[in-house]
Amino acid sequence: MNEFSHLIQFFFSGLTTGSVYALMAVSLVIVYKVSLLICFAQGEFFVIGALTMVTLTSKGLPMPAAFVLSIILSTAVGALVERVLIRRIRDMSVGNLIVMTIAISLALRGLALLIWGKESAVSPPFTPGKPIHVLGATLQPQVLWIIGVTILVLFLIWFFFEKTKAGIAMRACAENRLGASLMGISTQKVALFAWAWGSGIGALAGMVVAPLLFIQYGSGVMPMVKGFIAMSIGGLESIAGAVITGFLLGLVESYTIGLISSQFSDTIVFTILLFVLVFKPSGLFGASRSREV
Amino acid sequence: MKEAHLLLLMITRIQERRSTMKKIRVALFLFAGVFLMVSLGGISGAQTKAPYKMGVVLPLTGYLSWLGEYMKKGADLKAELLNKAGGVNGRPLELIEYDDQSSPETATRLAQRLISRDEVIALQGTGTAVISGAVSSVANKSKIPAIIQSGYALSEKETFTFNNAHRTDFAISRPMMYFQKRGITQVALLMPIGPLGELGSGVARKYAPTYNITIVGEEKFDVKAPDVTAQLAKLRTLNPQAIMAFTTGEPAALLARNMAQMAMNIPLVVSHGNATPGFLRLVAQTPGTVIVPSGKIMAPEFLAENDPTKKVIMEFAREYQTKYGEPANYYSGQQADAVSLTAEGLRVTRSDDPVKLRDAIENIKNFPGCNGVYNMSPTDHQGTRMEDMILLTIRDGKWAFLE
Repeated sequence: MNEFSHLIQFFFSGLTTGSVYALMAVSLVIVYKVSLLICFAQGEFFVIGALTMVTLTSKGLPMPAAFVLSIILSTAVGALVERVLIRRIRDMSVGNLIVMTIAISLALRGLALLIWGKESAVSPPFTPGKPIHVLGATLQPQVLWIIGVTILVLFLIWFFFEKTKAGIAMRACAENRLGASLMGISTQKVALFAWAWGSGIGALAGMVVAPLLFIQYGSGVMPMVKGFIAMSIGGLESIAGAVITGFLLGLVESYTIGLISSQFSDTIVFTILLFVLVFKPSGLFGASRSREV
Repeated sequence: MKEAHLLLLMITRIQERRSTMKKIRVALFLFAGVFLMVSLGGISGAQTKAPYKMGVVLPLTGYLSWLGEYMKKGADLKAELLNKAGGVNGRPLELIEYDDQSSPETATRLAQRLISRDEVIALQGTGTAVISGAVSSVANKSKIPAIIQSGYALSEKETFTFNNAHRTDFAISRPMMYFQKRGITQVALLMPIGPLGELGSGVARKYAPTYNITIVGEEKFDVKAPDVTAQLAKLRTLNPQAIMAFTTGEPAALLARNMAQMAMNIPLVVSHGNATPGFLRLVAQTPGTVIVPSGKIMAPEFLAENDPTKKVIMEFAREYQTKYGEPANYYSGQQADAVSLTAEGLRVTRSDDPVKLRDAIENIKNFPGCNGVYNMSPTDHQGTRMEDMILLTIRDGKWAFLE
């Protein structure tokens, strides 16, 4: 093994970790973009998506069918949560709303515990096959799936927000709720839609990442925290920023582990977060919003 | 009209009185019945003497809940078997079980409650060094014997605590003994960040020279990390013949998976906390050699005929399979031992005095249990030896006996 091959291994390790963070950050940004709300229950959708898919495939359902069904199910749960809980307190302060999402997160975690029990699930990779060897380093094929899915999701989001009426309505809503409603846009529908989208993507993240990890009812916390950090560094509203910082965080962590010490990886990540928050509070990719007073 | 009304009133009054009389009569009848039963009970009370109450603190919910479940099953079954055989000194054992929610604060509160309110004669439980340490400290303050099961290192001041888990030292030196036999001398450490990793690292470095092993390098990892290949790549450059990782559950399984991914075909030793059906499921499909130090109960069929623990283990394993429909494991066996050790102490001392009970447990010698043969003494409150541990590995998705 030469020096070069383990530098590549660090890169692959970073890609693997980063892909988890990136997808999670995207799902957080979607909800935030439309409802200006950081949803702390996103980690639970990650778990629900992954575990539903594992259950369905273990019941003999083919992978693609299980995939689609799990997304539909998680999206429905997300929409239900918005309709039943969030909408009622929509006009309260952001603090109340965030506390509400934390409550939802705990409730969903409890629900997952009831349904799936305490033990971790093993999920088969989407395509069976040996790890890919590149110059002495190895990468799991599943990581390519994750990157592929991330690109697809990015494209779909871009298409949706830029090219469709509903997407433009959602952006308008985020910009100015009152204005949007005066223009005849149903803000309620938009919020419902954003939650459904966000939870669907959260679940998708869980489903594609599951084969790399061992998912159990409490597994949503780590991706949620790291996804949130990626989102904050990237600028709360930038989807591309969330993806780039997600992968960057993964790479920073793995190179820190590889070249400095495994004990410093979290320290360095948080230091970066602090610096960004102090010197560029809008995030690396966030447009600094100037509002007229 | 008025008379009619009065009449009606009188009739209802009488009926009311009648019904009250009836009620009184029924009540009297019941009272007599209860009294009769109580007095009868008093006559046959020779068989139903007051039970020995044991307090059991278990992590039934929270992050250790998987462990608490096995512990509860083991303790329940052992108590049931002992009671079926006539109890201890003709008195039944009663387990009072509480859920510590995997939290040391709750465990402290429950241990206090067991002692002051439930008036138990001894305590046992629970998971991890921190939580069982909390139980130990309550027990010592109240001078009530406690048998804990964890990696908690007992201090000399804790004279009322026993720890019937295998020592951490054994769990690390046992695989090293195996390495020495196989000519493995170059070992790398991959430890979780945190106290458990520090402990594992310290013990491994302490015993390595004894077994002629060189620690070629050490890396740390975050137990929540989704990938550990970076650390493994670093260790690979040092050409180790085996990797030791003192970690349990998902992170241990992730290490095995990442090693397989990188085609590192060297043995991976994980902690003795992994001998569970849950862990087996996690690594069943992973190629490579995972070594788990454990107790003999995990491979009863491989025990030598003359093994003193064979009879106890075989019987417990059989009853466990019948009762719960799953094989007994390390943790259920360990908890069953805590019940039997307390029962043995009670049998010898025949007294409800906690100090005498402590002394009796302290003097238990050659007592076969699921975890090995216990030889307690005032200086050894753990009782088992390194030879009481076995090494397991995984073949064809099942636990297999390695040594």
